[in-house]
Amino acid sequence: MANQSGSVYGLTLLCPIIDDERAIPSHDLQIRYHLSKLPLGPDSPFAVAPGTHLARLVVLDDVIYVGMPTCEEHLHSKYLVFECNCDGDRDSYLTGLVQHIPNQLDAIWSHCTGYPGSKDLPAFLDYMKKCQLDTTFFFAPVNDKSVNQTLSALQTQRAVAAFIATHQGCTDTHLQQDFKVFMDRLQKAPPPPPAAHCFARAMKTGGRNE
Amino acid sequence: MSNINGKVYAMNVVTPMKPWKTWLLRGFFFILGHVKALQTDLINLHFIQFARWVIVPRNAFPFFGGTQKREELKYDYLLFFSNFNGTWNQYIDAFSAVLSRGLNLIWRWSEKFPGSVPVTPFKSYITSVQFDTDYYFSAYPEATINDVESAHIVQREFETLARSAAALPANEFRAAYQQFVLKVQSHLGSTGDAPEVF
Amino acid sequence: MSKLNASDIQGFSLRGYNMPYSRYCFLEFNAPEDARALLLALLPSVTTGQLWDEKPQSTLNLAFTHRGLAALHLPLATLISFPVEFQLGMKARAAVLGDTGANAPEHWDSLWATDNVHVWLAIHGLSLDAIGKQFHALEALLQSTGGARLLESQEACALCIGGEFNLKEHFGYTDGFGNPDYLGICRSAQPGQGKLGADGKTWEPLATGELLLGYADEAGERPVCPVPHLLGVNGTFMVYRKIRQRVGTFRQFLNHWASRYGAGDDFAKEKLASKFIGRWRDGTPIELSPDRMDQNIVQDPNRSTNFLYRDDPEGTRCPLGAHIRRVNPRDAFGFEGRLIHRRRISRRGAPYGPAAPPEDTPEGQDTEALDAIDRGILFMALNASLARQFEFVQQQWISYGNDARIGNEKDLLLAHHERGDRYGIQGDGSPSNPPLFCTGLPNFTELRGGDYFFIPSITALEMLGRNLVDPR
Repeated sequence: MANQSGSVYGLTLLCPIIDDERAIPSHDLQIRYHLSKLPLGPDSPFAVAPGTHLARLVVLDDVIYVGMPTCEEHLHSKYLVFECNCDGDRDSYLTGLVQHIPNQLDAIWSHCTGYPGSKDLPAFLDYMKKCQLDTTFFFAPVNDKSVNQTLSALQTQRAVAAFIATHQGCTDTHLQQDFKVFMDRLQKAPPPPPAAHCFARAMKTGGRNE
Repeated sequence: MSNINGKVYAMNVVTPMKPWKTWLLRGFFFILGHVKALQTDLINLHFIQFARWVIVPRNAFPFFGGTQKREELKYDYLLFFSNFNGTWNQYIDAFSAVLSRGLNLIWRWSEKFPGSVPVTPFKSYITSVQFDTDYYFSAYPEATINDVESAHIVQREFETLARSAAALPANEFRAAYQQFVLKVQSHLGSTGDAPEVF
Repeated sequence: MSKLNASDIQGFSLRGYNMPYSRYCFLEFNAPEDARALLLALLPSVTTGQLWDEKPQSTLNLAFTHRGLAALHLPLATLISFPVEFQLGMKARAAVLGDTGANAPEHWDSLWATDNVHVWLAIHGLSLDAIGKQFHALEALLQSTGGARLLESQEACALCIGGEFNLKEHFGYTDGFGNPDYLGICRSAQPGQGKLGADGKTWEPLATGELLLGYADEAGERPVCPVPHLLGVNGTFMVYRKIRQRVGTFRQFLNHWASRYGAGDDFAKEKLASKFIGRWRDGTPIELSPDRMDQNIVQDPNRSTNFLYRDDPEGTRCPLGAHIRRVNPRDAFGFEGRLIHRRRISRRGAPYGPAAPPEDTPEGQDTEALDAIDRGILFMALNASLARQFEFVQQQWISYGNDARIGNEKDLLLAHHERGDRYGIQGDGSPSNPPLFCTGLPNFTELRGGDYFFIPSITALEMLGRNLVDPR
C-alpha cells in the first residue's frame, strides 16, 4: 500500500474549506490565523497526541498557473492540506488524535465543509477517509522506528556522548561502576516529550538568494 | 507561517499535468517503488526525512456537496511534499547535480517544466510552483536525518553493551566498553539549533 | 572553452604571488571625479595575470566594496545588479556566517565601524623597501588627485625561521595546500586540487566560472554577473577577514589534551595537532600518512594533495570534523564528489603580527602574554559567488557539521564556540590512535573585521576610471 512505508504511514488529506461570503474573515483566513498562533513546542496538539513524526497544515488557495501555453484554470474551493508522517495506520492515528486533542481538531476543521466534529468517531474517521489522497510514492529512509523510539534514541545519543567525554582516562572499576549507574538511569528514563527543543524564530522564511 | 522548523524544511509544490501524461508518471513511480536500487541515490543524499508525491486526478478533489462546487479542471495535479535538511538552495543544487535524470522522469510530465539542468531555470520553476506552509510540526526539530540515523546506531550499541555490562569483570568490561566507543565514535554529533536561514 | 586573456585579469585573482611581504591599504573615495582620476593614475601599476619572465619587486591590485562602487556614482541599475550578499556587505551577513559573540561586528576594529571602506589596495613585495616604494607612489597619487584618503593600512609578513621564510601560520601549521585548479588558468597544478572526474579516480580542473565571472561554472551556466557584462567579466569576488589567533590559548589547549592522548608525549602532541586540521604541522596529510610526518609526501606535488576519504568513512585516520575534511570533503559525500564542485574557494592568506616564541621556551608557554599580542591571519578567499561558495562553506561546513554527519559540531580552530561544544577525534584500537573527545573548547580565533570586495578586470577598472559604465 503506497501510503505505508515500514512502520511509518504517509497520510495526505485534502479538505475543502467552507466558502461563505458572509464569514468575515473568510474561513481560510480564520484557519491561517488560528495556525499562526498554534504552539510548536511540547504544547503543540501534535506533541500532545501520540504518533506524529513530522506534519504540516497548509491552506491551498488555488492551483498555480505556470504560464502559456498552459491553460489557466482555477479551483472553486480552497483546501486545507494535511501532510503527516505518523506511526500506525490511518485509523489508529486519527483515533489517537480524537482521543487526545478533540477540541484542537474541531478548532481547525470546523472551517471545512462536511466536517462532522470529533465527538462522533466513526463519522470523523469516515470524513477523513473521504478527504484522503492516495500517496503515489512515499519515500521514508528511516521507516522502522516510532516517534518515542526516535526521541529515546536522541536522548541516548546525548547522554552517551556526555558519558564518554567525562569518562576518558578513568580506572576500570570506576568506569564500570559509573556505567552501571548511568545505564540504569538511562534505561528507566521515559522518552522525552516531542518537540521539546523548540525554536523561537522570528517570522521569516528561507530566501532564494545564492 | 513558516516553511522551516528547526533543521527541517517543508516544501510544497503543485504542478499541472495533462491527464494522459499522468499514466506515464504512475508507471515511473511503480518502477521506482519496486526497484530499490533506484532509491539508493535518494537515500545517499542523506537530507530527506520524508518525501511524497501525490497524484490528484482532476476528478478526485474531495467533494461534499451542499454549498461546495465540484471542481471542473482540465489538468491532473501532482503534489509534492518534502521534509528536508539543509538550505533550499543546497537541496535543489544537489538534485540538479546528482539526481537530474530521476527528477526529470518525475516532473517532465508537468506543464512547463524546464528540466533540472541547468539549475537556475529549474530553481525559477520551483519558486513559481511552490506554495508556503502554514503550520509545520516536528517531534524532533533539533535533529536531521543524519542525527536520527546516528542516534539509532548509538541506541542499538548501547543496548548491546548494557546487556553484558553487569556480568563482566571490570577489565573485561573495559574492553567491551572500548569496542562500544569505537562503534559509536562517529555518531556522537550534538543536536540543537539550525544555522541562520539565508 | 574560451582561452583566458591573462592580461585582462588582475594577477591576484589568478594566483598567489608567493612574496613574503604585503601591505593592504583601505581607502575611502572622495568626490567621484577625483576618485576616477585616482583609478586612472593607478591603472598602469596594476599587476595583471600575465606570467612573468622575472618576478617583479612588488605588485599592486585593487578591489572595491559595494559602497565603494556606489561612491563612484555608478548607475543604479548596475549597482542593484550585483549579487545581493555583496550589496549587503559582510557586516550585514554576520548572523548568516556565525559571526556572533566576540566575533560580532560590534567588537570589530574601528576601521570597519563607520562603513566607509571603499577600496582594498594590496601591495605585495619581495622586500620592505619594495613595498615602501609602491606605498610612497600611492601616497603621492592620493595627494595629487585628491581621489581618496587612506583610512588604515594592514601589514602582513610570512613567518620566518632562522632567516628563511616559510609557509607556516601562527599555530605552527604549514599552510598553502588547498587551492583549486581551474580550467584555463596556468599555474602549477597538482592531482587532488581540482575536482574528481566521473571515474572517481582522476582529477580534473574545476570550471573557470567557479572563480571568474563571465565563464561557465560547474552547474553549466554563468554565475550572476553585474550589468553591463563587461564590468563583471574576468572579475571575481573576494572575502577579506582579519582573524586574530590566540596562540597562547591554542598551545595550552594542545598541551592539556596531548597529555591525555596516546602516550602523552611529544609525538602524541604532534599527532593530536594533526587531528585538528587533517595535516601534520609539517604539511603531511594524515589521510595518506596517519602515523608519521613525511616530507617526501609534502615535497611531492603528485602526492601532497592527492588523496580521498573513501577508505576512511569512520574518520579513524582523518577525523570527520578535521578542518581540511570539512572545507574540501572530496569524495566523502559520495556521488564522485559532485556535491563539492560548486563549494570550492581560492585562498590567498597572509599571516600578520610577530611570530610567537618557540613552544619549547618559557615565553612560548606564557599563555596570557602570547594571547595579548595581536597576531593572526588575513584570510582572503576568492570565488564567483560569495553566497554559494564562501558563505555556504562558512555556515554549513565550518559553523555546523550536519553534512559531515556530526550534528552541530563545529570546526575546532576557526568557529566560534559555545559552552558545551565538543570536538570528536575518532580513533581505532591502537594505543597511539585512540578516540578522544575534547571538551571545554575555548575560542582560538577572533574575527576583527572584514568585508566583501569585487576584484574587477583591467577593462572594468578602465571603465570605472573613465566613467563609461552604462547598464544598457
